[in-house]
Amino acid sequence: MRILLVEDDPLVSDAIVRGLATAGYVVDAVTDAESVQGRLDTAHYDLAIVDLGLPGEDGFSLVRRLRRDGSPLPLLIVTARDGLDDRVNALDLGADDYLVKPFALPELAARCRALIRRATAAAANEMVVGQLRIDLAGRRAIDNNGRVLELTRREWSILECLAHHSGRVVSKERLIQAIVSWDEEISGNAIEVHVSRLRAKLGEAATVRGIRGLGYRLDDA
Amino acid sequence: MSSNPTRAPSIRGRLLGYLLLPLVLLLIASIWADHRTYVTPMYDMFDRALSHAAVSIASHVQKAPDGHLYVERQDPGPPLLHGPGHGPLPPPPGDEPFAKDRPPERFDPEYRPMSWMRLYSGARESFVYRVSMADGSTLAGDESLPIAVGEIIDNLTYGDVHHRGLLFRTASYHTIVAGAPIIVTVGETVHRRDTVVRRLDTVVGLSDGIQLLLVFGVCMFGITVALRPINRLRDQITRREPSSLQPLPLEPVPGEVRPLVKSLNTLLVTVRDSTLAQQHFLTNAAHQLRTPLTGLKAQLEVLASETRDSAQQERISRLQGSVDRLAHTANQLLALARAEPSAHGPGDSVEIQLGTLIEAVVGSMLDRALAHDIDLGAECEAAQVHGVYWLLHELLINLVDNAIRHTPRGGNITLRCGLHQNAPYLEVEDSGPGIPPAERERVRERFYRAAGSDGQSSGLGLAIVEEIARSHRARFEILDAREGTGARMRITFPGP
Repeated sequence: MRILLVEDDPLVSDAIVRGLATAGYVVDAVTDAESVQGRLDTAHYDLAIVDLGLPGEDGFSLVRRLRRDGSPLPLLIVTARDGLDDRVNALDLGADDYLVKPFALPELAARCRALIRRATAAAANEMVVGQLRIDLAGRRAIDNNGRVLELTRREWSILECLAHHSGRVVSKERLIQAIVSWDEEISGNAIEVHVSRLRAKLGEAATVRGIRGLGYRLDDA
Repeated sequence: MSSNPTRAPSIRGRLLGYLLLPLVLLLIASIWADHRTYVTPMYDMFDRALSHAAVSIASHVQKAPDGHLYVERQDPGPPLLHGPGHGPLPPPPGDEPFAKDRPPERFDPEYRPMSWMRLYSGARESFVYRVSMADGSTLAGDESLPIAVGEIIDNLTYGDVHHRGLLFRTASYHTIVAGAPIIVTVGETVHRRDTVVRRLDTVVGLSDGIQLLLVFGVCMFGITVALRPINRLRDQITRREPSSLQPLPLEPVPGEVRPLVKSLNTLLVTVRDSTLAQQHFLTNAAHQLRTPLTGLKAQLEVLASETRDSAQQERISRLQGSVDRLAHTANQLLALARAEPSAHGPGDSVEIQLGTLIEAVVGSMLDRALAHDIDLGAECEAAQVHGVYWLLHELLINLVDNAIRHTPRGGNITLRCGLHQNAPYLEVEDSGPGIPPAERERVRERFYRAAGSDGQSSGLGLAIVEEIARSHRARFEILDAREGTGARMRITFPGP
């Protein structure tokens, strides 16, 4: 997996390059927005990490330009600003995620993994969460032992919905909407039953974490 | 403008007050002037009528063959239309000065010669006469009627006398009949004359009063119309968001108020500029603080992963702790600065579902809670507030962060929202040791750190909560947990 880093601070840039290398990524670093296009023309990247506060053309402008040119490249914004306006703005412009400085490298690596996973899922119809491989086209899940899990229609729908938002909390209402058609009715308790059965079938491959009062989150382990 | 701000008189009231007083004085002066203008000719007219009566009576004084003077008597004869055979007499007219002109019906030929029936219509008991000789003897009429004394003009003198308990205006005509000087005195009560003047006064007063009322009404209308732009300006100002910094429009504002609006706009622009400058400064400060911290933090992490020496690992880990604390404090200071009302504009306020806010905060704090083996959960009921989203997000993050710091492993933290007596509230309850009532005020102070708190705390978390709550006109309370020993932090927003 190849990542393009656009960051002007040498200390930050160097640490990200080395930190992500440990996580198994190849990172090319540039210091300004102007050199981005040249890199994109010569190599294929799975993700770009863009700092908003760049000298010259800033990160907002770069994101806007890339999206206007129709680039499907997943974009992760890192910024020192924390006002929500910036966040909404960056996401509206077409960035895929947002991380506020100072961040921990594992956090950055996790975000990169999630973004790349999502992009790959869209392209290859397959997602990997923890040790679980989810084949979206075949509507089946394969665990770490290569065994295809036997899931009911509703359990599959729950897993699919959670996998699409893996690492994020999915509310019970949203799960209900995902698994039933408009004329069916299902209670919150029924969801709990389905989830606990799914949990048992997943075993060690991935964890469905219950968040009291809110919903569920699919975690790697 | 009045120097006394407590009375705050309205411009309209003052204008009307200053107009009404002179107008009333003008009315009184004009009635008085009119009265003076007509009263003298009116009196002259009455005097002339009296003198005509006197002259007319004098022409009826004749000399008898025996040399004595007497007043010729006239038989009035039957009335033309009234009397026997012509139905009853009409009722006597009142003492009306403007009554229809006609002769008196009850006419006493003994004392009131027919002649002044023509001369002086309407004369009755209010009319007296006396024909006297130069020696004071009375030839005819009322002996007790005094002769008018004074300057003789055209053989006439005039006077005001009291006679039979009434005030009379008298005229005495000095003449010579058959060689003998006589004085014919006629008198009339002033009642008729006064009634006429009074009537005129009333009519003049009424017409002047109506004019005044009309003028006053026109003034009221004029003032109302003239003040309309000012009222519009007032409405515009009261309709605005209280914290709006948009300049006021200059267009419908009259010239007198324009400098006021201009200086207000200057002030608004200054405030807005300083807000923008502060926001700009904070953005720069955030960038300048966070970027090197990010580098430092990330470099230490890389260093830690590359080092095999356990003593160095230990040192790096301590450095990381310090850098994390520094980063935390920098974040808190920036958050505190951003929470100040001058650092965010009124346009940042939106309608916020508290449930959505809690979902977002739980989502971002979940990993920290799990790392501390804490069960982070929520109990949400529908509640909505008007506020700055990222500030309330920051507030809740700080409350949860604070709760995580004070909750032991295996504990739980519950976020709640809903309506309490129609007022939306946010609540964060933990299963920690709680905060003793004596400390509850002090923990809100900046940089206050409770005894036994860990080294990571900046002592700013609850100060930020306090500041953000205040900027949303919300109340921040520290309460006991509903169950167990923990603390319950509650933010109550103003009701609808």
